[in-house]
Amino acid sequence: MTDQARFAHASEAELARILDYYGVRWEYEPRTFPIMWSLDGKVVESFSPDFYLPDLSVYVELTTLKQSLVRRKNRKLRRLRELYPDIRVKLFYGKDFRALMLKYGRFDLAASLSGLEGQVAADRANAQPRLSVVVHASAATEASGAIRMASGTIERTDDEPDDERVASGARAAPRVSRGSRRRRGRRVFQAAHATGGDY
Amino acid sequence: MVEAHKKAPSEDLRLDIGEVLITEDEIRAKVRELGGRISADYAAKSVTLVSVLKGSLPFMADLMRAISIPVQIDLMEVSSYGGATTESSGLVRILKDLSSSIAGRDVLIVEDIIDTGLTLNYLLRYLRGKNPASLRICALLDKPARRLVEIPIDYTGFTIPDEFVVGYGLDFGEIYRNLPFIGVLRPELYQTS
Repeated sequence: MTDQARFAHASEAELARILDYYGVRWEYEPRTFPIMWSLDGKVVESFSPDFYLPDLSVYVELTTLKQSLVRRKNRKLRRLRELYPDIRVKLFYGKDFRALMLKYGRFDLAASLSGLEGQVAADRANAQPRLSVVVHASAATEASGAIRMASGTIERTDDEPDDERVASGARAAPRVSRGSRRRRGRRVFQAAHATGGDY
Repeated sequence: MVEAHKKAPSEDLRLDIGEVLITEDEIRAKVRELGGRISADYAAKSVTLVSVLKGSLPFMADLMRAISIPVQIDLMEVSSYGGATTESSGLVRILKDLSSSIAGRDVLIVEDIIDTGLTLNYLLRYLRGKNPASLRICALLDKPARRLVEIPIDYTGFTIPDEFVVGYGLDFGEIYRNLPFIGVLRPELYQTS
């Protein structure tokens, strides 16, 4: 099945182009993994890796936030690995991605895909032609299994500075708008400055 | 406006190196060791070394002379993402293909560095289609922190940290390949404004 992807972040669109270039098949956010439940069994926190590479059986999560701000994402990733030990997830940090852009001579992206600027750059990514996504029937089945398991309420628990969201009952869960993300990003930025953070 | 380089390369390229990561002597010793292992593993056979241009050229030249069994060599070059060919096709292209058939032959891919593994993954698929008897990988440098595609490397020279390295074939903007050692480029040479 071919679908159209709408990327939440410029770095994701760029990675999709890189994967296309090297002939690596990918799916964009095909599955949401519940990682925390309330006492009454509702999913209160989940993790949706950005990409799944079906031929390599690996999920890829991109984060272009500063290293000092990825602690929460690392924690969620650790939780994911505890709960789903058979799932392989590769976390690609901002510094890794910027280095990759430098390697490929994409100096403009290396500069613009840093921290909050990367969040803003998502507008640019979404304005570009969308990339096709190849979805395996097996992956879709797997995803629907996850959806059944995750059936619960939509609930956000914190001010996450990135594109993680709480699992909903369907893949087409309402996404946090880019404006909301930017507002959250600004709060993170202000907090970092207030505490003398390296931003 | 983003500048490609904040600082132009120095006339003496060594001045642009913040730290020498692997010295000439260390490279020489490692290449000798790899050559010995390859000679032993392919004993009573011959092997075709396939070098991937341009970065692996110095490594290939030294490695082939450290191997004692009969070798054939061949060269390949593939386009890189972000290069001039990216916009036209959007797909990786073989810029220089093998000169001879590798069907039924034992092939060893000689790479300078493996980071994401994307190029090598592409090459493996391409070369497997040419039906070699065996297909192995020899990489001077392995940078696992950036790996997207896990690929088993049969012969690894050095596992290095996630630093921007140049020299001994490795370039930044086609410069620094001629440095005889492998060093970490000073950040002001590549950091963007």
